[in-house]
Amino acid sequence: MKILIVEDNLNLLEAIRETLVAERYVCETAEKYTTASEKIYMYTYDVMVVDINLPDGSGLKLIREIKKINPETGIIIISARDSLDNKIEGLELGADDYLTKPFDMAELVVRVKALLRRRNFSGKATISFGNITIDTGRREVTAGTMKINLTKSEYNILLFFFSNPNRVLTKESIAEHIWGDNMDLADSFDFIYSHIRNLRKKITSAGCDDPIRGVYGIGYRLKRDYN
Amino acid sequence: MKLIKRTYFLTALWLLPVMFIGSIFCFYMIEYIAYEETDEFLTYEMERLLEYHKENGNLPDYHKVSDIIPGLRYEQPLFKDTLLLETGDNEMVPYRMLYFTINHKGRDFTIVLNHLLLGKDDIAQGTVLIIFGLMFLVAAFLVLIVNHVTRKVWAPFYVTLGRLTHFKIGDPLPRFPETTIEEFGALNATLSALLKKITNDYQHNKEFNENASHELQTHLAVIRSNAEKLLNKTPEKSGNLKELQTIYSASTRLSQVQRSLLLLSRINNGEYSDDVDVDIRQLLLQALSIYSETIELRDIAMDKEIQSCHIFIDAGLAEILLNNLVKNAVKHNVQGGFISLKLTSFMLIVENSGLPIHGQPERMLQRFAKGENGNWGIGLAIVSQICELYGFRLSYEVSGGSIHKITIRWR
Repeated sequence: MKILIVEDNLNLLEAIRETLVAERYVCETAEKYTTASEKIYMYTYDVMVVDINLPDGSGLKLIREIKKINPETGIIIISARDSLDNKIEGLELGADDYLTKPFDMAELVVRVKALLRRRNFSGKATISFGNITIDTGRREVTAGTMKINLTKSEYNILLFFFSNPNRVLTKESIAEHIWGDNMDLADSFDFIYSHIRNLRKKITSAGCDDPIRGVYGIGYRLKRDYN
Repeated sequence: MKLIKRTYFLTALWLLPVMFIGSIFCFYMIEYIAYEETDEFLTYEMERLLEYHKENGNLPDYHKVSDIIPGLRYEQPLFKDTLLLETGDNEMVPYRMLYFTINHKGRDFTIVLNHLLLGKDDIAQGTVLIIFGLMFLVAAFLVLIVNHVTRKVWAPFYVTLGRLTHFKIGDPLPRFPETTIEEFGALNATLSALLKKITNDYQHNKEFNENASHELQTHLAVIRSNAEKLLNKTPEKSGNLKELQTIYSASTRLSQVQRSLLLLSRINNGEYSDDVDVDIRQLLLQALSIYSETIELRDIAMDKEIQSCHIFIDAGLAEILLNNLVKNAVKHNVQGGFISLKLTSFMLIVENSGLPIHGQPERMLQRFAKGENGNWGIGLAIVSQICELYGFRLSYEVSGGSIHKITIRWR
């Protein structure tokens, strides 16, 4: 899987590249519109992660170009601009997803993975961790041999964990993942705690071990030594 | 009231005293002239009689002579007013009488001449006719003149006013017409300077917002991603984890606060004005679905009465408004509390149980109002700002200590 990252802030570019490389994607980077434009004419990418504000051009123009050359490429916009205006334009041009800066790397990873799943398996894919399996096409979760019924948020949290098995998920990133801009962070931690408690209960009552481990004061992660 | 109507009105008002004084003047003038004429006529008759008497030694049979009083003498001819009975219509009418004396064969005779005078009622009638006729003419000409003059003199003002009314902030500055009238010239110059200042401020504010959003958020993204990276690398037993968590949380919180402030600033700046017909009912149901699980987690009893409601508003702002209201009702609620929603085409009422607050409820509508346990946040300030922008009437009440009620009247 080959990903092109277009972002003019070098620090952020490096952070994104490292994150995606750690997820075993092949990454190429461009800091400018012109470099990115050259690259999309020369190579094909599975996903392009693109910032709208570039020093020498607009990311929206890049999206238009790549849609002409290689419409198969999945596009994720990362922008600091207010989501209300650019979002609509970007999505109308054919972008698949939109992330407002600043975002968590865990969030970027889950979006890239979801995008690739949609592209490559036309919506049908399963992700497993231990003996728990998520069928993302049907939105079904099987723990051991039993199907378990999860609410929308519980399902999203579990998928978020499974997409980031080697990462600590902070309370903040989980809150943003579920509610986006729709909840103030400090108020949402109680709800997250309840959601995770319920999720754990459902998994253990299906006869499986609890895969989630709390990281004190920070958030949660999947257990490294889970069977 | 329009300028021209006001001018008419005031002019008409000023015509009233003119009319009053004019009527009195006219009345006495006519009366004076009538006396003059009558006296002149009677004097002339007297002289004619005296002449006749001198030549012929007797008096002609003259109908104006009403009386001859023998033995009475007046050194000077004397005018008197009197009322005589008019036998025709049995009415007392005013007469002017002239007494003068002639000496006939050694005896004095006082001759009395009389002549009919104009009655007061006749004069009054004439006065009214004259004044009304005159005023009508004056008024008619005034209307024509004022109309013409106003149109001509105020023309540059109306052009300025028209351009100003159509001006929207962000448009290129309007050009006001050249005028030779000093006051309008000054008005135009002042307006131009003012508009330029406002437009510049608006542009600066907008640029600041854009920079703040782009530059700050990008660097916040760098802080956050690196803090996140360190969080993942640092062993859990290490003492640095707590500090790292603090940095990470603060950067997350900072970006959220900044986003909210930017939103407020942009609403204030009028940058969202893409007004369309929005189905409020649908948006409210959508907002409820976002928080449905949270409502369930808290065991909150929902009571909703939602009728159809369409409002002309920016779609993005409408969504923010409703989401913030529902969010507020959910997040400040208590375990096992309630939310009661009522939407009609006139108003929206959100009532919910919560924690008791101290102080003025209206204070919650301000940015970062401080509550017992920290900030109440900025959500309601945004609601309040949107309401202000669209002229919705917003009220916040707390009853029974812990029942919060927000009412928005759409118009």
